[in-house]
Formats: sequence, structure tokens, C-alpha cells
Amino acid sequence: MASHSTGAPLPTLPEGFLAALRQIVDDKGLLTAAEEILPHVTEQRGRFVGATACVVKPATTQEVAEVMKLCCDHNVAVVPQGGNTGLVSAGIAFAEDRAIILSLSRMNRVRNLDPLNNTMTVEAGCILQNIQDAAARVDRFFPLSLGSEGTCQIGGNIASNAGGINVIRYGNSRALVLGLEVVTAEGEVWDGLRSLRKDNTGYDLKQLFIGSEGTLGVITAAVLKLFPATKERSTAFIALGQLEDALPLLSLAQSVIGEALNSFELIPRIGMDFALKHAQDITDPLAQPHDWYVLLEASAGTQQANLPTLFESYLELALEKGWITDAALAQNTAQADSFWRLRENITLCQKAEGGSIKHDISVPLSVIPAFIRKANAAVEAYLPTIRPYPFGHIGDGNIHYNLSQPIAMDKDEYLAHWDALNRIVHDIVVEMGGSISAEHGIGRVKLKENLHYKSPLEIRMMQQIKQSLDPKNLMNPGKLLPDTRK
Amino acid sequence: MKVLVPIKRVIDANVQVRVKSDQTGVELTNVKMAMNPFCEIAVEQAVRLKEAGIASEVIVVSAGPAQAQETLRTGLAMGADRGIHIQSDEDLQPLAIAKLLKAVVANEDPGLVILGKQAIDGDNNQTGQMLSALLGWSQGAFISAMEKDGDLLKITREVDGGLQKVSVKLPSVLTVDLRLNEPRYASLPNIMKAKKKPIDATSPADLGVEVAPRVKTLKVTEPPARAAGVIVGSVAELVDKLKNEAKVI
Ligand SMILES: Cc1cc2nc3c(=O)[nH]c(=O)nc-3n(C[C@H](O)[C@H](O)[C@H](O)COP(=O)(O)OP(=O)(O)OC[C@H]3O[C@@H](n4cnc5c(N)ncnc54)[C@H](O)[C@@H]3O)c2cc1C
Ligand SMILES: Cc1cc2nc3c(=O)[nH]c(=O)nc-3n(C[C@H](O)[C@H](O)[C@H](O)COP(=O)(O)OP(=O)(O)OC[C@H]3O[C@@H](n4cnc5c(N)ncnc54)[C@H](O)[C@@H]3O)c2cc1C
Repeated sequence: MASHSTGAPLPTLPEGFLAALRQIVDDKGLLTAAEEILPHVTEQRGRFVGATACVVKPATTQEVAEVMKLCCDHNVAVVPQGGNTGLVSAGIAFAEDRAIILSLSRMNRVRNLDPLNNTMTVEAGCILQNIQDAAARVDRFFPLSLGSEGTCQIGGNIASNAGGINVIRYGNSRALVLGLEVVTAEGEVWDGLRSLRKDNTGYDLKQLFIGSEGTLGVITAAVLKLFPATKERSTAFIALGQLEDALPLLSLAQSVIGEALNSFELIPRIGMDFALKHAQDITDPLAQPHDWYVLLEASAGTQQANLPTLFESYLELALEKGWITDAALAQNTAQADSFWRLRENITLCQKAEGGSIKHDISVPLSVIPAFIRKANAAVEAYLPTIRPYPFGHIGDGNIHYNLSQPIAMDKDEYLAHWDALNRIVHDIVVEMGGSISAEHGIGRVKLKENLHYKSPLEIRMMQQIKQSLDPKNLMNPGKLLPDTRK
Repeated sequence: MKVLVPIKRVIDANVQVRVKSDQTGVELTNVKMAMNPFCEIAVEQAVRLKEAGIASEVIVVSAGPAQAQETLRTGLAMGADRGIHIQSDEDLQPLAIAKLLKAVVANEDPGLVILGKQAIDGDNNQTGQMLSALLGWSQGAFISAMEKDGDLLKITREVDGGLQKVSVKLPSVLTVDLRLNEPRYASLPNIMKAKKKPIDATSPADLGVEVAPRVKTLKVTEPPARAAGVIVGSVAELVDKLKNEAKVI
């Protein structure tokens, strides 16, 4: 695992550069004091601390363009930053990057809301939750939803092609963006803010920027797709007969409930134990403990759909088949919310149990249970007292295959096994036709791992795209692809 | 001892309530409905009494339109034994409901009636008290704890100044407060069992009760929207605004 970079010397900036920046963004758009910079260079889990000479916060697209032009002229590298909630250290500058941070947080306006076209145009610094709320105020639904939604920004979501809990129905960020406004590495403004569902006029450039992790340009605004507001929602917390039953259960949901299915999340007993032990206001929805659970939710934009009846008959069928052994059905919104609070605590409560070695993997849905069994056996062979903690978006073929440390082991001693365990797990993933980063991206944390597994041709094509859009390699160098500057 | 639990179907507590454009009431079409949260607590308490061997049967009763049966099913899934649906599309006000319940009590002869302290739609906080007066039974409103002690129930009431502990004689009418218990979830097997439990249908006419509203709603309006906040630049500015704009100091 890469080491902490605390205390590294700050990169020096060219003569007159800071003054020129201040000219563009004013005092309130420029942070240079160490204590103001610190939160911008600290990864949200606190595992890495980077270093930069300043954080610049432009308030308009024009200011972003002027900043980028200035940086390009002076060969200063730039790390775009949103809410800094990313999990692969992609949005942070490290000393060796010799980069400044460009934070989009002041660009937080909703520029346009068009309920008839089912679109909204937002600036990159809008916090995801504020976007969901703005859509709700005009009786519409923006489906992107993840644990960090109170802090992360839409620009960061798009730049990392975030997934979340509604992917099974609405797709990930890539599927929710119709247009983008981007400031290029050389400081030009590309106005691609088209709110069109059909536009075959050439290469779909926006898709290049979606998931590019700030390595190709700065996203300053986006046109997002909206959907009918949810009027009826059915949520169940389900005990599986066995892990393998998750697959026929999902398949049955798709044939009985159909497209109303939004979420299908896996929770292991160990996750429930951690949540019950460490989180407040959490109760086990079921009377007995079970090995595996699924949190399942379906919703409809009208009440006529009679969703609750369908939902119940679906679960009854699954019970008859033995795929599920028990389930709690939310009878009101507060109960549904409490199931989701439990799900969020599955993520949060790992921390309280010491070191956790993370994997964010996907494999074809049909082999997910086989993957979990195989990986569990392999990591237990390596370290018998390790505590596998697989959870997450199983309906998307995506598991956060995290490994909690053995109970009595020293945390640092455990974390020293990071690379070795990554290799064991990722080898199995790749052998099963999977991905070593399903939704969190590559950033700095998985750079080497990605180079190890991807074909040289694929890496070369990515480098050629980067080279043509960012010839000086000033956009977030060292993330996603190796830093090629001298 | 039979326990009777009256329950009400209301707008889901987490739904943003909107006033109808003609100002005759609040919008109910296409809005999620659920059991009144205080009624859930009442059902939970009754089911616990049955599990503890104190209650012999738990009967849930709801007065309202056809969909009130869904709410009764939820009560049955939580563990009630049977339901009574008093079918009515009238605007049922607390006094009318109390009279209907009195008639049900006459038929069923329960030893205890447990209600929510209020329904979150009208926030009336009247039905339990009216029922107790009509029956001439003891009453304990806003209870947060209860314990059976021979012929008496020792209860704790949440009152303005704190907690009041009193004993009430059975038969009694209790209304429950938030802290009494945490209602259980409805499990799938229990939801399936609930479908087979009986729900008797009756009506105000069958029960011989006149339910026409006695209070007329003239108009329903939204409360005035709160003005947006401002960020003040200094303490001096704050003091100035408090003095000259808000005129509170
Ligand atoms: C509790 C928690 C739960 C999470 N759950 C999920 C989940 O379910 N699914 C999921 O996919 N992810 C999840 N994540 C990680 C997720 O990727 C981030 O939360 C989010 O998408 C990143 O947004 P951000 O604004 O914080 O971006 P940052 O972390 O600031 O940046 C992320 C990347 O985007 C780049 N970037 C940011 N803004 C711009 C811009 N305007 N232009 C160009 N590049 C930009 C940065 O350079 C960086 O490479 C979770 C994180 C947490 C902490
Ligand atoms: C009656 C009719 C109705 C139509 N309705 C619609 C409609 O509703 N919606 C719509 O979008 N279009 C419609 N079209 C047009 C539509 O684009 C084509 O019919 C179809 O998508 C093209 O497929 P093709 O195999 O005929 O491609 P071709 O015409 O052979 O080629 C189309 C393009 O694709 C390229 N191409 C073909 N194969 C490959 C390959 N394997 N790799 C790389 N490039 C390749 C070609 O070089 C060319 O640029 C319609 C056409 C007709 C005649």
C-alpha cells in the first residue's frame, strides 16, 4: 500500500502565479493557509494526506476557463475536486503530483429545471442531495443515490461514474447524463449542454469525460435525466435460505415485479452484527439471526400500479420456493428508512472493528455466489482468522468484498497484507471475467493494480485519448494513468 | 380479557402534506397512506399483553372507507387476532368515532381499550377521552409505561411537568404515547397468516350511531412560508437586525 505523504514539502509555484490566480478568483476563491488546505488534501477515510500549495475555487465557468489557461501557460498541474468523498484518492493532490486543487464547490447553482423534458441543468459543484431535493420540488425524481450524497458533488459523481443503490433500474451516472459543459486542459469551454435523448452527430464526447476521474478536463455543468417522482414504494428486509438463492430471487423479482425493482443489496450476518454492536437506533428487523440478507426495494411513479400487492405475492412465491426463510416488510416510510439506515451502517461500522482491506469488484451476476465462496476460501487459507465482509449492490453484480482484520491482530500488522490480499482476490475476479473496480474508480490507489490486469493495448488507447485532450499531462497526473511528465 | 385496539389510516408520517387547490382539505389522491404511528404503538402493546398471557384476544377496529381494511391487515400482521371494519365514507369526527367504539365495546365486552393518543392527521387528541366518558370507564391518557397489578393497571403518564404515576381500575381506556414501546415489523409469514384472519364488516347504521359531522371545515390553507434566513456579517449587524427589523430586543 502506498505510504502516507504527510509532511512532504509543498510543491513550489512559478513566480507571479498565485497573484495571477487571485486576480481571477478574488480572495474568497483562493485558499493558501495550511489549515484551510488540510481538509482538501485529506482523504475521507483519513488514510492518506496529500499536499498542495493552494486550493482555487472559481465561481463561474469563465473563471474555471481562466484558471485552466493560466495553469496551462505555466505548466501547473490541476486536480479537480468535488466533495472529496471518493474512495481511491483520485480527487486529492499529493506532493509528487506538484499540482494545485481546483474545487468546484462554489459552482452550485441549478441553472435550469425542465419537468416537461424531464431534465435539469446543474453546475458541477451542486451537492447530490440538493439536486435530488430540487427535482422532488417539481414532482420529479433524480435516481442517483449513494451513502455520501449529503457531501459529494454531481461533478465528482460524473467524473467517477458513480453507481449507488438504484443502478439496477436506472443505470450508473453514465446513463443519467445527457450533456456536459467542460473546460478543457487548455482553458477552452466546450458547451455540450444538450438536453437531447437523441443526438447522433458524431463521437459521444461527454462519455469520455464521464468516469475520467478529472484526467481529461474540468466538468463545470451537466444536463441530468429526471424521472417521475416515486408515489409508491415497497421495501423488504429479507433472509435468504442460502447465498446462492439470491440469484433466483432476483430473477423472480424481475419477472414478477418487473422494472419497478430499484435496489437489491446483499448484507451478510457479520455486517448485521457490526451494525447492531456499533450503531445507534438499529434493530434487527427479523426475530432470528440468518447468514445472508437482501434489502430489496421497488417503487412506482403512480399509485394505481398496485405495487404492494405484487410485492407481497412475489415474496410469498419466494418463501414457497424456500429461497427466502423470513422477511420484514416496511409498513410505512419510517420503517423503510430504518432498513436503509441499517444498510448504510453496514458500510460505516466496519471501521469500528479495526483494519479493513477493501475490494470493489464486479463479476457477471451469475457467478457472484461462486466468487464469494471461492474468495472466502482463498483468503481464509492465507489468513485463517480473517473476517470476510462481502456486501453491497449484488443486483448489479457488484460486491464490496472487504476483509476485516482478525480480532486480536494489530491493525498495522494486518494492513501490511493489503497488496497480497488484493492480489489473491483480484486474481479470482479477473479469472471469473470481472472488474477490479466496479464503481469507485482507479485514482491513485488502484493504479498499479489496473496496469497489472488491463491489456497493454487498452492502456495505450487510454493514453492516446489522454494525450490528445491533455497534451501537457496537466489534468490530475498520476491518477488513472501513470504520470508521464519529467 | 379481550383488548380492543381502534386504529386509523392516515397519510404516511414522512409524506409532505399538500393542501388541495380548492382549499377544502388536504390532497389524498396518489398519496401514500399508513397506520397512524400512535396506533401502531397501541397494537404493539396489546400484542405484548397477549404474549404475556394477560390478554386473551386482541381485536383491531377501524372506521373509514374500504381501504381501512389494509390498515386492519397491518394490525393483524403485527399479531392482532381479528378485525372489525366500520365501513363509512363520511368525514368521521372524534365524537362520532367514540360513539361507534362505544357500540363496539357493547358488542365485544373487552376489558381494556388501547388507542393512540392522537392521530397525526387531525391531531385532535380527543377520541380516547371521549370514549372513556361515554363508557364511564377509567382513563389513562399519554401513557409511556404500564403494568398489571391484580385488578389495577399501574401506568405512567407523560404530562407537561414530567411523569405521573397512577393506578387505574379495569375496565379502562388507555391512550399511548411515543415512548411506550417500539412497534415490531410485520414479517412475511405473519402477513400471510393475517390474510386468513377474519375481518367483520359493519357500519354506523348497523351499530345505530349517527355520524354526521358536527364541526364544519370552512377552509384549509398552508401556513405562511418561512422567510429565507440571512447570513449576517457581524455581531453588530445581528444586534441591529434584532433591534430594528425583528424588534425583539
Ligand atoms: C459513505 C460513502 C458511500 C459511497 N457509496 C458509493 C456508492 O454506492 N457508489 C459509488 O459509485 N461510489 C460510492 N462512494 C464513492 C463515490 O465515488 C463518491 O462518494 C462520489 O461519487 C465522489 O464524488 P465527490 O464529489 O466527492 O468527488 P471527489 O472525491 O472530490 O472526486 C472524485 C474524482 O472526480 C474528479 N472530479 C471531481 N469533480 C470534478 C469535476 N467537476 N470535473 C472533473 N473531475 C472532477 C476528481 O478529480 C476525482 O478524480 C461512496 C463514498 C462514501 C464516502
Ligand atoms: C426502413 C428503415 C427504417 C429505419 N428506421 C430507423 C429507426 O427507426 N431508427 C434509427 O436509428 N435508424 C433507422 N434506420 C437507419 C439505421 O441506421 C439502419 O437501418 C441501421 O442501424 C444500420 O445498420 P446496417 O447494418 O444496415 O449498417 P450499414 O448501413 O451497413 O452501416 C451504417 C454505418 O455503420 C458502419 N458499420 C457497419 N457495420 C460496422 C461494423 N461492424 N463496425 C464498424 N462500423 C460499421 C458503416 O461503415 C456505416 O458508417 C432505418 C433504415 C431503414 C432502411
